[in-house]
Amino acid sequence: MTFDTTIAPTGFGRLVKGQTAIDFYGRRRGGFIAAAVVVLITVVSLFTQGLNLGLDFEGGDAWDIPASETFGVDEAQEVLDANDVSTTGARIQLRSSETADVITVQVEELPREQAAEVTADFAAAAGVTVEDISFSFTSSTWGGEITEAAVRALVIFLFIVAIFISVRFEWRMALSALTAMAHDVVAAVGVYSVFQFEVTPATVIAFLTILGYSLYDTIVVFDRVRENEGKFAGVRMPYVDVVNISVNQVVVRSVITSMSSVLPVISLLLVGSGLLGAVTLREFALALLVGMLAGVYSSIFIASPMLATLKARTGRTSHRERLTGDRLRAAVIGAGFTGRVEAAPEPQPAVVGATHDGSDTDDGSLVQPADRLLTHPPRPRKKKRR
Amino acid sequence: MHRRLWFSLIGVVLIVSTTLAANLATGNTPILGLDLQGGVSVILAPTEPATNEDLLVIRDLIRDELESRGIAEPDVRVQGDTIVVDLPGVRDQQEALSAVDVSGVVELRPVLNFSDCPVPDATDPALGLGDDGSLAPAGTVAGSEEPQGFRRSAPDPDTTTPETVPETIPDTVPDDTVPVTPTPVPTGVPGAELLPTRDGAVQCVGPAQGTGEVFERGSATLTLDAGFGVAVDLRGDGQATWNNLASQCYNAAPTCPSTQPGVRGQIAIVLDSVVQSSPQVNQPNFTDSVAITGSFTREEAEALVAVLNRGAFPVEVEAQEARTVSASAGSDSLQAAVIAGLLGMVLVVGFLIAYYRWLAIVIVGGLVVWAAMVFSLASLVSGWTNYALSLAGITGIIVAIGVTVDSYVVFFERIKDELRNGRTIKNAAPRSFKMTWRTILSADVISLIGAFILFWLSVGSVRGFALYLGLTTVADLLVCYFFTRPAVLLLARTKLMARREKVLGLEVATA
Repeated sequence: MTFDTTIAPTGFGRLVKGQTAIDFYGRRRGGFIAAAVVVLITVVSLFTQGLNLGLDFEGGDAWDIPASETFGVDEAQEVLDANDVSTTGARIQLRSSETADVITVQVEELPREQAAEVTADFAAAAGVTVEDISFSFTSSTWGGEITEAAVRALVIFLFIVAIFISVRFEWRMALSALTAMAHDVVAAVGVYSVFQFEVTPATVIAFLTILGYSLYDTIVVFDRVRENEGKFAGVRMPYVDVVNISVNQVVVRSVITSMSSVLPVISLLLVGSGLLGAVTLREFALALLVGMLAGVYSSIFIASPMLATLKARTGRTSHRERLTGDRLRAAVIGAGFTGRVEAAPEPQPAVVGATHDGSDTDDGSLVQPADRLLTHPPRPRKKKRR
Repeated sequence: MHRRLWFSLIGVVLIVSTTLAANLATGNTPILGLDLQGGVSVILAPTEPATNEDLLVIRDLIRDELESRGIAEPDVRVQGDTIVVDLPGVRDQQEALSAVDVSGVVELRPVLNFSDCPVPDATDPALGLGDDGSLAPAGTVAGSEEPQGFRRSAPDPDTTTPETVPETIPDTVPDDTVPVTPTPVPTGVPGAELLPTRDGAVQCVGPAQGTGEVFERGSATLTLDAGFGVAVDLRGDGQATWNNLASQCYNAAPTCPSTQPGVRGQIAIVLDSVVQSSPQVNQPNFTDSVAITGSFTREEAEALVAVLNRGAFPVEVEAQEARTVSASAGSDSLQAAVIAGLLGMVLVVGFLIAYYRWLAIVIVGGLVVWAAMVFSLASLVSGWTNYALSLAGITGIIVAIGVTVDSYVVFFERIKDELRNGRTIKNAAPRSFKMTWRTILSADVISLIGAFILFWLSVGSVRGFALYLGLTTVADLLVCYFFTRPAVLLLARTKLMARREKVLGLEVATA
């Protein structure tokens, strides 16, 4: 029942085996700068061109056209396409009552002339006169009150989450997690602003989804940090190292989870909107994709280094250098690192460890310290009735 | 231990499959949103010319009213001069018409002497006339006023007639109702009319001098200061209107005379032609807020608070016609989302099988149980609450797949860690689960908090989102504890797992 404990030579192999030794804290500046750039782009874009608020937020134009056998939802769609009217946020519905069937078309507000042209085209397509078509302005359905209520709920939620994380973990984690979350939502909003996608109620839902996903991801990472905090408390491990070790331990989980979360969204993006032509899905899926990738990114490159930075000043101070390279790796794989081993042995490119057959394969692997295995072996199982 | 695991595993599978079968057999499926399935649309038009602002106020009021009655996620907008209300999950047009019958205009009218009112039609039972043609004494309906009482629409005499009018005069007539003067004189002030009060009496009121819009919406509160009372804030622009009326009544001007000796003029608060309350005015000028006191019972005060908080329609609206509405997103959107979602599932499962090998069967089983559970819960909940599943909701569920899979990933990665540390899989599995459960619980509790708060405090589609977020999270926790845990723990004891390198897909990493 031996287990291969050699260090994998390839980056991917090390990732899969949980043997990475990436100095995330040392690279925090890169993460912070990238985040600052994202936020800056979004803010600039929001101020210069703002968000393209859709029909449900700003209202728009509406036509009521008598429906007939030759004029239905698809024909109305064609007329809009022919006039270069964006149909992403458009709503084309058949409204039928006992007396009459009507096609209602609602689109974002158009310039007067274009609207008149579209009216004429609708009349031609439906085979009726322009007078038979009622053209009117339609208001938003998403009134200011809905936004107000949603924002109020969100603020209260974030407040309670901050308290929850502070109690269950600590306030620095709450601050870091919320910062990372803000970054992710800003990134997703930025996509909408920069590319001028139409914001619909579904988009707001996408933003909320991203918000929840980001918090979830960060909490999973922080839970490991807290666990390791206790584990390494005895050896007075500096907090920065604890964070680095923890993030390295969960990075494989982050990669696999993000793969499995992103795959359905990519499928939605490519298959749903690309091949099957459901345009509504496209922008929505894109926002989700960006937000979810940002969520995974931010918990590793923003939340964790930020936590370490916040904590570095208050926690145990250490005179020695931060763990890096193979010494970090040793700690990550739980190789009995004690923190007191100030002068760690030079990494020897030889395998001494407990490989299957004990054969020495000189592939540049790390020395396995003698106390690599558990400091205390598993308790022998009692032979009791099961 | 062993037996309990089997019990939990088989139990959860049985419960979930029975519920699913029951749901399918009864045809109970989640209501689909307007964008996916369409619904019924009702067109409302104001009975008198209204400004666009008025219509927007009515739009918000109608939406609130519909939501408070459990019709979720209505799509209400002003189109031209009309208000269009689209309702998801409503089956027929008649149901829709009665659902949006939420009209209600609050008026502020001065209380007049009965001599100022025209003689009422003696046969109108709504005005509480006795057999002999004289006005019946004011009665009080004991105790309570049902909330529905405020949703009466048109001033239909049948519905405004109190159910019971006591024969005897109650010992205490509330101060805010006027003792009836039994000498009606057939002269009249223009616009004056007799209106029934909530307790079955009648009151003569002058023409409306203001509407409920003078009050800040939602600001009314119950006060308890020497008896129950109501405090309500005045809107900035409503203050002048209110004070104009108040000073007339305070000074007992002819337009708002004192109807009883020693009592100042009274302002009647009228909802849909029913006098809700007619407090006397004790000061000529009000700033910011108004306190209405009197010998209210608690119920009366609460009812008044409800009326004032509900807000007032600036003008009356009438339902004109109902139409069925087709889906707005197009049927291909739903199909595309479902196909893409299924394909995404297949991709995820393929990826996980490649990575976790045999352990992936637990994931596949777990996802199936999870999906069945979410479907059943969604069917049940949308049956109770009318929350519709929109395209956004479906994509939200697709995203939730990722979070659900994460529970397995956290668990399995932890098991691998423990194995690398030299434990046997039999030993590693329960230990790992303990750690994993803590992590997942922390992360999921935050999602649940979010779902609760958003559901509780927000409206419209955000609320629907919160509902489905909560459902998927609860399903995730249940599946994790009652399915994944026993499945993995039992699997860990099998011989299959002894050759764990292959079973766990660990040799992928071995260079």
